Amino acid sequence: MARKDIEAALARGVEILEAFLPLKSWLLFPVLYSACVWAVRRVFDYRERILAWQVWLDPEFVRTKPDEFVLDFFGGNDALRREYANEITRGDLRVLRASFPALYSVIGLEDAFLKALFKSELDAADYRAVVVEFAARTAKARDDIRSAAADPEFWKALYVVAAEAASLGLHLLKDEEVQEMIVALIKGPAVVGPSIPPEA
Amino acid sequence: MRNRRLQALALFLVIVTSVSCLTHLSRAKRYYAEGQDQARALQTGQAVAYWKKALDEAGRACRRKPSAQAFTVRGLAEANIGLWREAERSFLQAFSLGFSDGEAWASDSALAGLAASFEDLDLEAPALRVYAQLVDKSDFKPALMVAAERRTNLVLARSAELGPDEKDRTLIALAKTLDRLLDRDFACGLYHYLHAQVDGHLSDLRRAYEEAVMARELGLPSAKIGRDNDNQLVYCYVRLQDSLPPAERDALRAAQARWAAKWGWRNDRTPAWKKE
Repeated sequence: MARKDIEAALARGVEILEAFLPLKSWLLFPVLYSACVWAVRRVFDYRERILAWQVWLDPEFVRTKPDEFVLDFFGGNDALRREYANEITRGDLRVLRASFPALYSVIGLEDAFLKALFKSELDAADYRAVVVEFAARTAKARDDIRSAAADPEFWKALYVVAAEAASLGLHLLKDEEVQEMIVALIKGPAVVGPSIPPEA
Repeated sequence: MRNRRLQALALFLVIVTSVSCLTHLSRAKRYYAEGQDQARALQTGQAVAYWKKALDEAGRACRRKPSAQAFTVRGLAEANIGLWREAERSFLQAFSLGFSDGEAWASDSALAGLAASFEDLDLEAPALRVYAQLVDKSDFKPALMVAAERRTNLVLARSAELGPDEKDRTLIALAKTLDRLLDRDFACGLYHYLHAQVDGHLSDLRRAYEEAVMARELGLPSAKIGRDNDNQLVYCYVRLQDSLPPAERDALRAAQARWAAKWGWRNDRTPAWKKE
């Protein structure tokens, strides 16, 4: 496996897919990364899987939790406990409850797509940004995937990119390495402000 | 001679068309069943993918050789991916071709679609009335499960704004509704999950824990619900330990350790899917 070959294949992928996805700096990551993972696992119904995100993005679990559960969620996670220390100490359930739906979906349920969608904020431990941007960004992702999905060329391009990366030995890299590689390629030389999605 | 050839050709075409339709229908059934299996295994994405494939194949079967079975499979696939209006039409077609339950299923699909539309328009009160109707009367499981889940969600959200007494009364009534659903279908993991959620709001942690365990054992319709159920289970387990006398606490720990081993958890509080 040549790491550089994989990187080059993914770079070509980013370039090709940019034509299909308007919010390239952040939506490209979950799409390309997931397609690569599936290509490595030789799963070929990636089209249906990506379209199924439209279903996953609609949480169907019971969203109203008791106050104690909400407090336990914030208090039981080290990073959230630090970030929301003041609110937890004051017992400010208004703020905690308002932040809960976004953070519980991303962190509490460890939703793979949502974690990829908010990777920059999670890496920067900027949890309040996740809360602020959650509704707009997930809605935008849903719309953008829908419009790109209508173009058969998008699926062909995605398949070619993922299959090429897989054939070069992508499976020998750790998940985190692949993620970092794609993120670096998407950001490119000019760093795009990650916490503000364009047009969101 | 010519007549014989024509007859042979006609017979050949009939066989080819029948085999082709049979293939589409049998493929549709296979994909649908595969979707159900994936859903039981909490593979939501794959389940949806299979239901969509079943929908495609059933659609072809319906066009080539309409039959009650083909329309029923199409309706079921549509119901499972939330296309209630389309499901209603499919079940009505199935009914017209001899599927006796088709009319009732069409009616329930129409109600589920109507309630979803009310919710989209933020009209919660009429949505709740329709869901309540489905929960009380429907025998069509996809519509019944959606109605039970949505009704529970809406009632819990509303109860958060009530005073303590009224809130308790509302939650107790909701728990009774779920008890009735469990009487009808005790093996449905979703009803146990919903019960566990309501018990959590009623601070009945022991019942909430037991219901969450049963939900996990019986299976849930999506990975997301499964994870939420795991979180609820761990939350109840941890809090229960603090409130129990030592002997009961030890028994609970031993039981939870056995469940955790069976489910492949990393320890009694950490499901396999959770990062440590």
